[in-house]
Amino acid sequence: MHMLEVEKLKKSFGGLVAVNNVSFIVDEGEIVGIIGPNGAGKTTLFNLITGFLKPDSGRILLRGEDITGLPPYKIANKGLARTFQIVRPFRHLPTIANVLVALQSHRGKRRIEWIKTPERKAMEMLEDVGLSDMALEPAENLSHGDLKRLEIARAMALEPEIILLDEPFGGLNPVETEYMIKSLQRIHLDGHTLVIVEHKLHALMKLVKRVLVMHNGEVIAEGAPEEIAKNKKVIEVYLGKAI
Amino acid sequence: MPLIKYLRKTYTSFTTRIYDVPPRMFAFLSLIMLSLLPFMGIPITTLQVLIRINFMATLAVSWDFLVRSGQASLGHALFFGVGAYGTALLFKYLGYPPFITIPLSVLICVGIALLIGFSCLRVKGPYLAIVTFAFPLVLTGVVKYFPELGKDAGIKNLPRIFPTLAYTERWLAEYYLTFALMAISAIILYKIAYSKTGAIFVAILDDELATKACGINVSKYRIMAFIISGLFAGLAGAIAAHSDLFMRRASPIYLSAQYSLIPILVSVLGGMATIYGPLFGTYIYTLIDSFILKEMLNIDDWTRSLIFVSIVLVLLIKWPRGIGRTIVEKLEDLEEPREIEEILKEKGKKG
Amino acid sequence: MMDIIILGTISGLIYALIALGFSLIYGVSGVINLTHGAFIMIGAYIFGELNKIFLSTLPMEFSYLFPILAILSTAILTAVIGSIYYRLTLHQVLGDEVAILIISLFGCLIFQQIIYLIFKPVWAAQYPVPTLLTGELTLLGVRVEVDRAVAAILSIIFFIGLLVFTSRTKVGNALRALSQDLEAAMLMGIDPAKMFMLAAGIAAGLASVGSILKLTSYAEPASAFMWAEYMAYAFSIVILGGLGSIKGTVIGGLIFGYTDAIVSTRFPQAGALMPIFPSVIMIIILIVRPKGFFGKRIEME
Repeated sequence: MHMLEVEKLKKSFGGLVAVNNVSFIVDEGEIVGIIGPNGAGKTTLFNLITGFLKPDSGRILLRGEDITGLPPYKIANKGLARTFQIVRPFRHLPTIANVLVALQSHRGKRRIEWIKTPERKAMEMLEDVGLSDMALEPAENLSHGDLKRLEIARAMALEPEIILLDEPFGGLNPVETEYMIKSLQRIHLDGHTLVIVEHKLHALMKLVKRVLVMHNGEVIAEGAPEEIAKNKKVIEVYLGKAI
Repeated sequence: MPLIKYLRKTYTSFTTRIYDVPPRMFAFLSLIMLSLLPFMGIPITTLQVLIRINFMATLAVSWDFLVRSGQASLGHALFFGVGAYGTALLFKYLGYPPFITIPLSVLICVGIALLIGFSCLRVKGPYLAIVTFAFPLVLTGVVKYFPELGKDAGIKNLPRIFPTLAYTERWLAEYYLTFALMAISAIILYKIAYSKTGAIFVAILDDELATKACGINVSKYRIMAFIISGLFAGLAGAIAAHSDLFMRRASPIYLSAQYSLIPILVSVLGGMATIYGPLFGTYIYTLIDSFILKEMLNIDDWTRSLIFVSIVLVLLIKWPRGIGRTIVEKLEDLEEPREIEEILKEKGKKG
Repeated sequence: MMDIIILGTISGLIYALIALGFSLIYGVSGVINLTHGAFIMIGAYIFGELNKIFLSTLPMEFSYLFPILAILSTAILTAVIGSIYYRLTLHQVLGDEVAILIISLFGCLIFQQIIYLIFKPVWAAQYPVPTLLTGELTLLGVRVEVDRAVAAILSIIFFIGLLVFTSRTKVGNALRALSQDLEAAMLMGIDPAKMFMLAAGIAAGLASVGSILKLTSYAEPASAFMWAEYMAYAFSIVILGGLGSIKGTVIGGLIFGYTDAIVSTRFPQAGALMPIFPSVIMIIILIVRPKGFFGKRIEME
């Protein structure tokens, strides 16, 4: 049984087909990347998988269970977490409260070992991403890089089995990027399955073992990073046909 | 006994932080002053104004609580009215005394709040405001149409809550009752607002999508916010119907726009989406309105309304952030931050 | 059956006229201007006062012209007031939907208080509006009052006029452009601020005319508190027909007109319940189909 199975997913908006018959599989413990030019449908794909959009047709299976059409909170509680491309912190809450909110979900509450209070657990999550000093700071005062890390902490609070990350490196400087790569590697080693959409190819290629390339709502190539880098179709799609 | 322990704990936690949190000091002092006020020999008319403040403040703080969850209602008078009519109808047709009809009426309010909260789940922002504005209008029309519901005049001669007291004592009793209403509502709402559940409400306000992604059933919490808010507004209405201040009658006036709009006005004045804001705002508003404008300058009711509405209009234009951006900057820390400080200290010790 | 159709159409068209301005403002600027109700109210009072002024100051040979003169002057005056009001208040908080709602609501209160204070002695500052025409005529077998028929026809003229204005004139085209794509219109050099003010003015003017027509032909008095009821009507009509669409507003108005006719002819006892009808419709639609049935912001046809 695969961790995540996407079967012939299709979604159109009016006349525009955003996701066209996409199918792929992610197995437990994998770390998979999804790349593609802007407008390829990557975020729409994420929104479909995580329940924020309902597909026109197709299925999504999480550990064999059909989660197509379920509301986002139920999917999150089943162990599929996500981060957002544009950070979405709870601005008026302190950083630690951001994590505490996630710990109030069914899954978050269930997983708290009886000896640890939610506050302690939240602090641990913050420590894991290096934000423990900012615990009481209102989230709106955090820098962009910090907010990206907060997204990760919040997703981790759900103790997910698989995490979908939408451009986790967006807007990060080289130091922050290195830190993020290490964090994600550590999370992966801890046993979590990761699916990462990203534009910063050099960062992504260091991280993932398998890459899917999307263009115009379809998966046009799939394979190891080295192969993809040499794939003619992929190069065309990124650089235009004039090569 | 566990209750004693809890009270003790609350007392110590409240008082130990009083010195470093100025607002708490202020609240504490006001609490004391307000409890002793009636004994300082104030005229009954002033007492009546204070009683009215207590009612309006409860209404306001319950409304503001709803705003905290991102749902701004322009028809809060509905719950005020349902509370009043609930207890009135229960008395009229079943003959129960106030201490039974009032709690039952609150239950009815909770039911109504559930209904409204549920039906408004898909209705967003401005449309929610409009829908909620329409609800009291509809109820007013219904109530005015059916003679069983009292039509225009309403249901009169409701029993007093303290039937045995003489005139002056009666007003004092009413003052303390409503004061308790306001204080207890404020305290309970405060506890909820600054608890982890309260944090969820703020999260919904800030970013509903992200809250969903965190595994929270947003719909459940939105309805919960409606229920909590409606509960206290309804309680205020139910008690008001039995008070002499409101002529001991339930009438369409409870549903009128002023009881929807004044909570907004005072919350904007005092600071939106806080607990102290609506309370503070009600006192300031009444102070300026009743005492300064009415007593000192002798301006009549209508002109006063005009002045106030104009002032609020200007305030809203200059600082719309009070409305649109609905949380005032100074959001106090979460409940039990001490535990976090302790954790941080431990970490420090470990080095 | 015929009576419902005829009476319904007539009252429906008049309702639509009252609601039209509200729809217009939303279509052009996206502003839900609840103060529209107040302009409906103001129009009636201004008309009444102007009429009195004319009767006492102008030569009586032209007395038959006074109503027309009064209506025109009221429309222009209300339009100016509406325009300035918009600029001073709602324009400052563009983009903040909730603030706009609350501010426009408070604006209604301000106008209500002003009117009340000026016309105080009468209860609720009720104001009898003069009847302009008398007599009945028979239309397709149904007895109809002349002034109502005329009002309906005038409404149609206004609808057509507005359609022509938005499609044939430069300014009208600018308004249409803004309603379709704000940024593109701005890129083409259209100044949204001025246009929004214009739309607000036109809306207020239309509101006053509609109000005058309705009150004079149905012999209803104006009151300082009438804005709430009419605002509910206008809002429900526009929601029914789709915000921003002229066609939709007319259809919405007609639906209301027919319902009104059905109730008043077949179920007169339920008449007292009628005032809540628009509110109920509004609630149902907003819950079930928040976007209305026709049109979105886009259409201005």
